[in-house]
Order: sequence, then C-alpha cells, then structure tokens
Amino acid sequence: MKQVEEFLTGRIWLRHFIPFPKEQIDRAILNGSVTTRFGITDEKQCIRCLEHSLQKIVPFYCEACQQICHYCRHCIKMGRISSCTELITWALPSTNLLQSHSFNWTGNLTPLQQRASHEVQKSISQKNDHLIYAVCGAGKTELLFPPIFEALKIGLRICLAAPRTDVVLELTPRLRAAFPNTIIHSLYGNAPEELGFAQLVVTTTHQLYRFENAFDVMIVDEADAFPYSYDIALKRAVVKAKKKEAPIVYVSATPSTELLKQVAHVSKLFKRFHGYPLPIPKFQSLWRYDKTFAKGQLPKKLTVWVDEKIDKKEPFLLFFPTIELIEQAIDIFKRKYPALEAVYSQDADRKEKVMKLRQKEIPGLITSTILERGITIPNVQVAVIGADEAIFDAAALIQISGRVGRSSEYPDGEIIFFHNGITRQMDKAKKMIISYNGGL
Amino acid sequence: MNCYLCDRTIPLQVTWRSIFFTEREEVICFQCQTEFERIETGCPICSAVGEEKCLDCCEWEKTEYAGLIDNGKSLYRYNPAMKEYLHRYKFLQDVVLSEVFAKQLKEELRGQKSVIVPIPMNENKLRQRTFSQVDRLLDAASIPYVHVLGKHEIGLGGKSKVERIALQDVFWWNGQPVPEKILLFDDLYTTGSTLRLAAKVLKEKGAKEIKTLTLIRA
Ligand SMILES: [Zn+2]
Ligand SMILES: [Zn+2]
Ligand SMILES: [Zn+2]
Ligand SMILES: [Zn+2]
Repeated sequence: MKQVEEFLTGRIWLRHFIPFPKEQIDRAILNGSVTTRFGITDEKQCIRCLEHSLQKIVPFYCEACQQICHYCRHCIKMGRISSCTELITWALPSTNLLQSHSFNWTGNLTPLQQRASHEVQKSISQKNDHLIYAVCGAGKTELLFPPIFEALKIGLRICLAAPRTDVVLELTPRLRAAFPNTIIHSLYGNAPEELGFAQLVVTTTHQLYRFENAFDVMIVDEADAFPYSYDIALKRAVVKAKKKEAPIVYVSATPSTELLKQVAHVSKLFKRFHGYPLPIPKFQSLWRYDKTFAKGQLPKKLTVWVDEKIDKKEPFLLFFPTIELIEQAIDIFKRKYPALEAVYSQDADRKEKVMKLRQKEIPGLITSTILERGITIPNVQVAVIGADEAIFDAAALIQISGRVGRSSEYPDGEIIFFHNGITRQMDKAKKMIISYNGGL
Repeated sequence: MNCYLCDRTIPLQVTWRSIFFTEREEVICFQCQTEFERIETGCPICSAVGEEKCLDCCEWEKTEYAGLIDNGKSLYRYNPAMKEYLHRYKFLQDVVLSEVFAKQLKEELRGQKSVIVPIPMNENKLRQRTFSQVDRLLDAASIPYVHVLGKHEIGLGGKSKVERIALQDVFWWNGQPVPEKILLFDDLYTTGSTLRLAAKVLKEKGAKEIKTLTLIRA
C-alpha cells in the first residue's frame, strides 16, 4: 500500500491504467485510502485537464455504459477520459514520504544571481508569487538551486514545469547532479513510468494535468505568455497541480506586460553570467527574398553573409519563418553548400543535426523557430530571414538573438535580421536588448 | 471550427454551394487532407500497388478461398498520416474522427446496389473500445447497412497466415436474411483474411456476389 500511496499522492490517474494489481487498488478504494471520480463532470468539464468547451468535450454513444457519454478531446493523448471513465487519487493526507537531501553543486553565483536567488527564496518562504526576469544566458537555472534545496530540506514538494520536452530533458540531469540523494521524476510524453514518491518533479506543462493539489512550490520556466497563454488549459493545469497556497515562481526572458503587472516580486537579471553585454541585432534589407527563392536562386546579400561565416569557420543558424520556405530554400542552398542541413519541428534527426553543428561537422543549419530556445552552440552566428514576418514577434526575436554569445569564450557574435521592411516588433526587440544592456 | 487533426482553425469557405445547400462542414483542414494518399489504381481485389491482380490475391486463388471476392477496392494508402489517423481513431478512441472520411465514403457508396455489410466486432471487444470503428465510419457518411455476421473472440493479430486461414470459425451467421449482392466493408485491409473469412460464411449462406470496400490498404 505504501507504493500506491507514493505513486498516487497528488496525482490523478486513470483507474484502468494504474501500474498496480487491480485487487490492490480495489482494496484501497474499499478502505477509503483511494478515492475514485468519473472523468467528466455533470457540467461537462474534464476533471483531468479542466477543459469545458463544447468543441473539446464531445458526446458519443458509448458501448461500455450503453448510453450517451462525453469524452475529452483536449487531453486524449494521455488516455481518453469519458463520463464513465474512473480516475483515482490518494485520499488521505500524506504520511512520512519525505527524504533526506544533499546539495552537490560547486559552481559560483555572480552577485546578481546571488541576489536573485535570495529574493526567490524569500518569496517562497513568504508564499508570494515571484518572477525571475532574466535574459538568455543569465544563468537562471543555477540560481534556482539554493532555493530548491532550502525548500526540499523543510519537506516541501517542488515542481519545475517547462513547456517543452527538450527543456525537461536538459534540466533533469543538471538537477539530478545537484541533488544526488533526491528522488527526481522527469515527466514528458512517453517518458518511462517511474514509481515512488518524488519530492522534486521536472515536467512538461502538459504532464501537469496528471497532478492535483500536489506541490508546495511551483516553478514555471519560459512563462513568457502567462497569464494569456497560447493555451489557457496549461495555465489551469499549473493552478490545479499546486496546492492552493503554493507560490508560483515564473521564469522568463520575455514576460508579457500582464505578467509583469500581476507579479509584485521581480528579480531582474539583465546581465549574462559571463558579464558581457548581449549582442545587438543588425537590420539588413533583403527585398523580395521569397520571390528569389521561388525562382530557385539565393539572395545575394545572404550568400555574402554565409560565405563570410564559412570562411571564418564560424557555425551559423539561419532562421526561416515557415516550413514551406525552408523546404524550398534547403534544396537551393544545398546546390551551393552541400554540407548545409535543415531542421524543423517534425524532424526526427533534429538532435543529431544540432550535435553535428556543435562539433563543426557541418557549417550551418537552416531552421524554423523550433530551435529558438534551449540550444547553446559556442561562437554561433545567427541570421533571421524574413524577420518582418508575423511569426517573429519581439519575444521570438529576443529569444533568437539570445542564442548568440552565450559561452564565455565567445561572448560576442553576430545577430542579423534580414527583412522586407522593418516592423515594430523588430524595433521593439532591438530596443529591449539595448535596455537589458543598460542603455536607453 | 478547428481541424480535428491539427487543431488549427479552418477558414470558412463560402461558395455558391454552401449558400444554397447545407453541406457538411469540413472537419479537417486542407493541409491535413493533402497528407492522405488516395489510391488511384491497383489490384482489382485489394488495391495493392500495381495494375494487375497482386501476388497475394493470386495466392488466395489457389486456396479454398478462391473466387469468394468478386472484386474489391481500398480508398487510401497506409502512409504515415493514415497510420497516425488510425492510431488516434482506434487506439486513442477519438470517436469524432469517424467523420474525417464521411464525404469520400458517401461519394464512393452513393447509388450502391449491393447491401452493405460491415465487418462486425466481437461483443467484449466492442465494450472495451466503447464504439465500433467500422460502423461509425458508415454512420458518419449516413450510409445504411445491415449486420449479417457475428464475430468470435479470436484475435487475428500475431498469427501466421497459415494459422489465420485455419481459423474457420471467426465469423458466424447471425440469422438475418443474407442478401444476394453484398458489399463487405472494413476499415483496414492487411492480409485479406478477415474479408475472406467473412465472405466464405456469407457465400455458404446464399450470397451470390461479394464485393469489398476498405478505407485503407495496409
Ligand atoms: Zn481533458
Ligand atoms: Zn461510457
Ligand atoms: Zn489540419
Ligand atoms: Zn490484391
């Protein structure tokens, strides 16, 4: 029963997919330690993801319960929930699941990181929401280590949620190295199922649907669009997964104005950990580049730029606005630069190609915005083609610019916006970066 | 409305038809539609790639199942988009996806002279899956059909072809009158054993002509 308690505490799970023998769960339900609920409420809301729109909660004639049943399309990939599906949770207050922890990190925080770290810790202890407003490369993860350790020691359960699997995969080993005695679960789509009770959970925001009233501290990484997220459901998931009083620590390089207004306690880190300023984007016109590609040619200014990087043996990234344009452009590029590769979101070889660039096996990569975050390539040079396209809003452009100059050996680098006319978003991105550097 | 498959909004198409006729709204976007690969020509029985009767179907003609299927057709290739679709529809049980091919099935079966008989599902399996994926495809297209067969609980998956062929009793006649001309309908044509086992029972019970239609040719 201990195992069931460990697994189900703070979780909301499909009864028929629980990794324990059926009899064990039946007994737990009978003796009241596990509660069961039907998946869709009478008000037609999914109790796992809290979706309630008519588009996503749909009726059908169900052969299992022999009547009209509703199911949730929103969270269906985690196993379909319908009106007659049972979900289970641990019903009793948690007993003694806590562990002892050690902190094994030898790095140093800069004074700026140090201060932010203290501020976060203070907010957590006072149960205040907090925003870490940090430029790319400011070392936001490291500054979270001390507050996480303090929270672990006093028995708090902590969740670190990030929107994308890549980020979860990147953070997990770093946290496991820093907290070697702590059980840390790493959750993302198709992750191997881990039993036991994790006091520290690293997860994609999606996997939060499977938690309820679980966490004492909620850290939301890349919380750029909060509270008006592209997916309101994810915001609801954050609120549902944490305990009512639990503070939320938002981490963002480009927080929305709403978030800045909403959160009173803010730590600003506008300096990179190596202390050098952020590279400022340059603007360069590239008139009707789409027509040039359509004719099967490369825009002259672009080849000049690429040639220069290849001459200097500097790795480079070319960001394109659409997958269609990438598919068109890569063939043309390959005629002149056969070693060049392209990556986009559905690309299974994404990781290998990025690795090749890092190891200088290929000179450069053509990419969609999918690579805007989470990759560090020493001395990388970046060009955005069609920076005036709507997909490149100021936040995206700032993120892309943040790829450059991250390592202390190469704190500088070129970031260039090739455009068909300067947009307000481009201007805004540039102004913001200058202001981070202490200008304006 | 949003595309059932990629969740992007589908731009409203206002055409003279949509003004004068109440056509069904599209449930998937144009982009997703282009991902599916329609079969233009193929084996006259199973639509396998090629112009003539395929090797597999020729093999069947050497067995006791020879001549059971008069002719047949499959509408789509089992490409990655189709695999994903079938996974979501059958395995994730996203019932509304039965509507995705409603228009195409309707076009295909419009004016059909034969009586449409869907491949049935075993009762236990049906309760587990909570819906019959084959029936629902026809329902979505408003195509009438009759069930003449029942199915025993014998999983076909994992058996070799020889073993499958030995499974004489997968289908049984449910006592309903057997029409002379039948169109057997199933979602997926893999080895062709399901349709032939069903066809055998139907011909034994008096069917004269059996055609087949499947949505997908694996
Ligand atoms: Zn849901
Ligand atoms: Zn039901
Ligand atoms: Zn679509
Ligand atoms: Zn054939």
